[in-house]
Amino acid sequence: MKVKGYITGSGCISPQNTTEKDYFFENVNGPEVDFFKAIEPSYKEHINSNLLRRMGRAIKMGVSAARIAMTEAGIENVDAIISGTGLGCFEDTEKFLLAIINNDETLLTPTSFIQSTHNTVGSQVALIMKCHGYNYTYAHRGFSFDTCVMDALMNLEEGKNNILIGGIEEHTPNYVEIFRKGKKLNDNNSNKYFEGKTSGIQLGEGTTFFVLSNEKKNAVAAIDGVAFLYKPQSAKEVADKANSFLKTHNISLENIDLVLFGFSGDKEFDKYLLEMLPSTSKNSATAQFKHLSGEYYTANAFAIWTANKIIENQKIPDVIRINSVSKSNINLILIVNGFQGINYSFTLITKC
Amino acid sequence: MISAIGNNVSEAYVNLSNAKTGIGKVNYLNTRYKDEFVLGEVKLSNEQLMDLISYHSPALNRTSLLGIAAANEAVKHSGIDLKDGLRTGLISSTTVGGMCKTELFYGEMVNEGKHLEVLDSHDAGESTEEIADHLGIKDFVTTISTACSSAANAIMLGSRMIKHGMLDRVIVGGVDSLSKFTFNGFNTLMILDKEWCKPFDENRKGLNLGEAGAYLVIESETSLKKRNGKALAKVVGYANSNDAYHQTASSPDGIGATTAIQQALKMSGLAPSQIDYINMHGTGTPNNDQSESKATINVFGNNVPKFSSTKAYTGHTLAAAAGVEAVISVLSLQHNKIFPNLNFTTPINEFGLVPVTKVTDQNLNHVLSNSFGFGGNCSSLIFRIVNEG
Amino acid sequence: MDALIEKLKGQIIEQLNLAEIKPADINPDAPLFGDGLGLDSIDALELIVLLEKYYQIKIKNPADGKMIFESVRTMAAFIQSQGKA
Repeated sequence: MKVKGYITGSGCISPQNTTEKDYFFENVNGPEVDFFKAIEPSYKEHINSNLLRRMGRAIKMGVSAARIAMTEAGIENVDAIISGTGLGCFEDTEKFLLAIINNDETLLTPTSFIQSTHNTVGSQVALIMKCHGYNYTYAHRGFSFDTCVMDALMNLEEGKNNILIGGIEEHTPNYVEIFRKGKKLNDNNSNKYFEGKTSGIQLGEGTTFFVLSNEKKNAVAAIDGVAFLYKPQSAKEVADKANSFLKTHNISLENIDLVLFGFSGDKEFDKYLLEMLPSTSKNSATAQFKHLSGEYYTANAFAIWTANKIIENQKIPDVIRINSVSKSNINLILIVNGFQGINYSFTLITKC
Repeated sequence: MISAIGNNVSEAYVNLSNAKTGIGKVNYLNTRYKDEFVLGEVKLSNEQLMDLISYHSPALNRTSLLGIAAANEAVKHSGIDLKDGLRTGLISSTTVGGMCKTELFYGEMVNEGKHLEVLDSHDAGESTEEIADHLGIKDFVTTISTACSSAANAIMLGSRMIKHGMLDRVIVGGVDSLSKFTFNGFNTLMILDKEWCKPFDENRKGLNLGEAGAYLVIESETSLKKRNGKALAKVVGYANSNDAYHQTASSPDGIGATTAIQQALKMSGLAPSQIDYINMHGTGTPNNDQSESKATINVFGNNVPKFSSTKAYTGHTLAAAAGVEAVISVLSLQHNKIFPNLNFTTPINEFGLVPVTKVTDQNLNHVLSNSFGFGGNCSSLIFRIVNEG
Repeated sequence: MDALIEKLKGQIIEQLNLAEIKPADINPDAPLFGDGLGLDSIDALELIVLLEKYYQIKIKNPADGKMIFESVRTMAAFIQSQGKA
C-alpha cells in the first residue's frame, strides 16, 4: 500500500482505564480471576437515551468509542465506517437464543434479534452520524480487525479522506463460563506470557475505534500497513512473513524500535511467536499486551491503541516490557499478533 | 452454487429455465412452525451433503457443508490450479455461521456443561476456514458479515484486492443455512409470508427464507492470460452505500439504494440506458420492494430496464443472496436469458412497475444486481458479458 | 379501566426498556408513536409481544397495531374489548 493511515482520533474501552484523559498505564487492572471485563463509561454522555434503551453492551461500547475517536479527530462525519468483530453482539444473540430455547419459539421479541447481527455496531454508528458512505463489517476471528485496517488503507488509496475503523468484542457470563468449563481459561496468576510456561488464556473484551486520515493533521503516528498469515506450519514461516512484510516497507527487523507481541498466555498457541522472541530482542525493545487486554478476536485494536500512545509519549511502559533494550527515539513499532495459533498479523506503526 | 433450485449450477439453470421454484414445504428445519410456513431449503440432509463433498465429519455444521460444496464447484468450474503459485484469496460471508448447530446445544452448554466444543465452530469465520482448508487456500482468508448484502460486498472486496495488485485471483461469495434463530428472528419482525412470496406485487406480504452457498472465481487479466483461461463475465462496476435510516427498515425514498446504484454506474462508465436487465433484491416485503422501486425510478426515470427478483425461486438466502444472484446474473449473460419474477400478478399501485414474468430470451450485455441488507447496507454490482473469440 | 391503564404503563416501560420514564410521565391519551413517546416500528412489534405475553391476545397483522397502539388508553380499551382485562 502506498498510503499510510494517520491516526487522527482514537477511542478505547477496555479492561484498563483507557477512557481517562491522558491515561498511559500508570495503574493497571488485572483480570477478575480469568476474565478481563471492560470498564464501561457513562454511556449517557455519548448516546441519547432513546437509542440507548435498545442497545446491548457491544453496541453501547462501539458507539461510545466511535464518538470519542470522532471527537478527538474533530470531525462530524467520515467517508467510510469499517468494523470488525469475531462474535458480533453476543449479549443480544444469547438473549434471543435462550428465549427460543426456554420459551420453545414463542413470545420472542424482535429487539434482541435485530441488535444481534454482526453489522449492528457499524450501522448504528452510521445511523447516528447520518453517514451514507461505505460500511463494512468483518467477522473473521483473529483477522476481524486486521481486515478493517487493510480495507481502510485501500479506501484511503482509492481517494477517501477519513475512515472510521473499530474492533468490537463482548462476552457474556455464560460464554465465559462455557470457556471455563472447557478448561480453556488460565487462572495461573502469571502474566509473563513471554516465558511460555502457562496454558490456557485469559479472556478479555473491549472496543477500540480509530479515525484514519490521509492527512497528518494532529496525528502522532500512522498505520503503514498490515500483513496476514493463515495457519503457518512452522515458526520459520512466521519469521519469514514478518521479514518480507517489513521489506515491502523498505525496512528490516533491525530498524524496529519496539516489537509488540500478542502472546495469549497459552504456550501451545504462542509457540511460533515465542520462537521469534530471541531474534527480535537483540536490536529492538520487546513487549506484550494481552496481559492488559485479555485475549479476544479483535485484541489487535487494543495493541494499535497502545502503540499510538507509546509513540505519543515516546516511552515504553514498564508494565508491558519484556526485555530492557532502551530506545531514545521510538519511531517504528511492529505489532506481531497471533490468534489461537491460526491467524497471525503484522502491523507497522510509524511516528509521523 | 447449491440452493433450493439445485445442488449445482447446471441443476439450477434447468429449474430457472423451467420457471420451477425451489420454495416449498419444510423438510429439514426443525421448527414448531414447520407446517405453517414455506422455505427455500437445499434438498439434502447434512448426511447427504457430506456424501456430496465426499467428506464426513460430525464437526462440520450445515453452513460449512453448503459452503464447501459451492466453493468446490466454483473452483472446479473455473479450471484454476490452486497449486500453481499464484496468490489466491478466499472472501466468504455469512450471517448464520455455526448458529444452525449452536442453537441445538446452547441450552445444554449453559445448564449442564455439555457439548462445549460446539462453541468453537459458532463464529462466522468457521465455515470460511473449513472452505479454505478443504481447498488449500492460504494466501488470504476473511469473512464479511453485513446481513443481506454480504456476498455482494465479498465480490466487491475481491475485485478491489485484485485491482490493488494484492491478489491474482479470489474466490468470493457467501453461505447461510436455515436456522431456528434466523427463522424466528424474521418471524418476530413479521416480515415472513406464510405462503409463496410475491416480489413487487401490490399484494405481497413478506419474504420466504432460503439457504444457499454461492461462490464465484474472480481473476486478474494477467492470471487469466497466464493459464489461457476463459472468463464468463467481467465485474465492471460496484458500490456500497448506507441508508442510515433505520436498523431494519429501508428508507421510503430509497436513498441508500439509489446511491449504491448510481455509484456502481458511475464506476462502470455506463449510462443507465446501457443496463439490459436488473436482478433486483426484491425480497417481497412491503418495505423493501417499495423502497427498491423508488430507488429504481430515481435512477432510471421512465426508462426502467427489464427487471426481476429471483427470490421467488430460491427464497431469501441472506448472506448468500448476492452470491446466488451474481451466479444467476452470469447465467443470464451467458445464455441471453432473463429468468422471471415468479408469482407476480399486480404491479405496486404507487409505481406501476411490471417485472419480467416469463423466461425471456434477450440479448444481454450488462446486468445490474442489487442487494440491500439490514443496517441499511446497500450494494450494487454490474456485470458485463465477456465474448471470447 | 384506570387500574388497567396504570398496569399497562408499567408493562410498556419494562417491555421497551424506557429506563428514564416513570408511569406518571406517560399521558394515557398522548400519542405513543410519532410525537408523544416517539416510539417506532420495532416498538410496535414489541407491543404486539406484550399483548400476547400479558393478555394472551395474538395480533396477526402488524397493520392492525396502528389503531390499537394509538395511546395507552386505546390499548387498554382494546384489551377490555377482547375480554382480557
